[in-house]
Amino acid sequence: MPIQNPNPNKKKKKHSNQDDDEDDTVQGKQRTQFEFCKACRLNHNQGRRHIYFPNHKKALSSFLSRFQSKLKNDVAFYLKKPMPLRPEHAALNRLWCVFCDFDILESDSSFACSGNAIAHLASAEHLKGVKSFLWKYGGGMDRMDSFRISESDFTKWEKKCKLLKSEAAGGGSHGSLIGPLNDIHNESKSEYVNSFDKNKLDCLTSDVKCSNSVVPLQDHTIERSQISHSKICTVGPQILHAGTGVGLGARTPNGLPGFFGNQHYTHSVPKEGPAYSCPNDGKQVYSYEGIAIGDRHSQGTSSEESRLQTQENGGGNVHSGAPPPWFSAAEKIQLDNKLNQGLGDLVSSLGEQMKTSKLNPKRVGAAWAERRKIELELEKRGELVRHDFGADWLPNFGRVWQSGSRKDSRKEFLGENKTWRKVDSQIEKPSQFQPYISKRMRTDNTAE
Amino acid sequence: MNYLLTTLTKKQEVDSMIRDTIDKVLVLCFGRASDSIFLQLDEILYKSVREVSKFATVALVDIDSDDVQVYIKYFDITLIPSTVFFFNAHHMKMDCGSADHTKWVGTFLRKQDFVDVVEAIYRGAMKGKLIVTCPLPPDRIPKFQLLYKDV
Repeated sequence: MPIQNPNPNKKKKKHSNQDDDEDDTVQGKQRTQFEFCKACRLNHNQGRRHIYFPNHKKALSSFLSRFQSKLKNDVAFYLKKPMPLRPEHAALNRLWCVFCDFDILESDSSFACSGNAIAHLASAEHLKGVKSFLWKYGGGMDRMDSFRISESDFTKWEKKCKLLKSEAAGGGSHGSLIGPLNDIHNESKSEYVNSFDKNKLDCLTSDVKCSNSVVPLQDHTIERSQISHSKICTVGPQILHAGTGVGLGARTPNGLPGFFGNQHYTHSVPKEGPAYSCPNDGKQVYSYEGIAIGDRHSQGTSSEESRLQTQENGGGNVHSGAPPPWFSAAEKIQLDNKLNQGLGDLVSSLGEQMKTSKLNPKRVGAAWAERRKIELELEKRGELVRHDFGADWLPNFGRVWQSGSRKDSRKEFLGENKTWRKVDSQIEKPSQFQPYISKRMRTDNTAE
Repeated sequence: MNYLLTTLTKKQEVDSMIRDTIDKVLVLCFGRASDSIFLQLDEILYKSVREVSKFATVALVDIDSDDVQVYIKYFDITLIPSTVFFFNAHHMKMDCGSADHTKWVGTFLRKQDFVDVVEAIYRGAMKGKLIVTCPLPPDRIPKFQLLYKDV
């Protein structure tokens, strides 16, 4: 039989290979060629069957949702609001495309942040990659559009970029003034920035704060603080997406800067949030109003906080009316503790609920047990008066020589019981005893 | 008789015992206090009742009392001591290699045997099985001759 193997590399596709035919004939089901499933991250020899297994489905859904959240958080934001990219921070901005299996770097992107990524996601090769991935791993071909950027969106984004470029060219002089100042701060913070980057996965998300937002130096202009605070506020809602979802308040600006990988500033008009009019009020922002999101975040913030506190000492002091650094720190610790306690309680109560609800529902007499528990509860509370079961109640019992269900055996027994009772009552009547008189004595009596 | 476990003498007591033991195995031992084998059984039960307390309750029933004669007839108790197992008011059967699966006749050779038996019952009940097989080897199971019906 001639070997027809047009795509030796594509052995992962539906098997029409010679080798597999042989194997199939021997055992109908086992494929001997091992493949690697990206979603489950395991090697299997189950061929096309693998994608229908429930474990694979679970793994695939989590895998895709992770990538999708990355896309949502990072790329979607920049699609709407493109921003210029600073070359020194470009190295931190990268996206791994899981469908095409390659890293998208921002090295020569002249456009805004994540320009290369957006370009890739809109491209035809990426679409092809998405299609083949979904087909191979059985993700559902209707979900394709959520993993790529449509052409219309891409063109819109390009237009926005162009606009931004023209703006930048026009407002370049103003930007350059603030620029160097930022750089000084940036240098000192770059270490923190890099370390936090390692912690945080989606380093793309960033509305990263300009250092000017962090340092409460007294020679900050009102304008700069306005810009900085407005930037801070825009990050707030974003973190809601990125965070773990436990009660979030307004995230403190102090934690942000070091938190995110990139740093770049814009001199754009304040987008959202209140404008803080004076530096003193601005300092109130530094008092920790927000609630810590999670361990990851708090790790990031703790070093940041200590650094900030030293800066605050230099900046805000008794004379300027700033709150003392231990006061703001203590507040945060208190808040953290309260949150942790709350979380602990929640977790423990959930744990209890989980425990009680895990008793096998298929166990013997489960329904009866549940009913009885409810009855006992009610009796405890005094709502339900305990009504004694009749004297004739008998438990569910399978008799020794029974044939049929246990209910039958009970009925049988009750029936037998009745007959015994009748017999008992009948026997009771002849209780009179008479003395024995022998025949001889009787005959003697009669004879005499 | 304070060397015995909780002894039940009335049907109502037995009923409440059966109905109030929820999600635990109920071990009901029928016997006579004057019987030496019953006393030996009681000894073993007394030693192990605390160890199985998390998943089993043990009670003794005096077969000489009139009130429980109904139960004696219902459970077909002819040889003493006899032990009947309940779980959530359902009777649990155990196949020990003898003809009668509805009860355990005789005493246990060791404390551990009793614990093993109760554990097997509990595991089977939790899985939803009404009959379980005995975990003990046949040499440890007391043998008896079952009387046939109507004989």
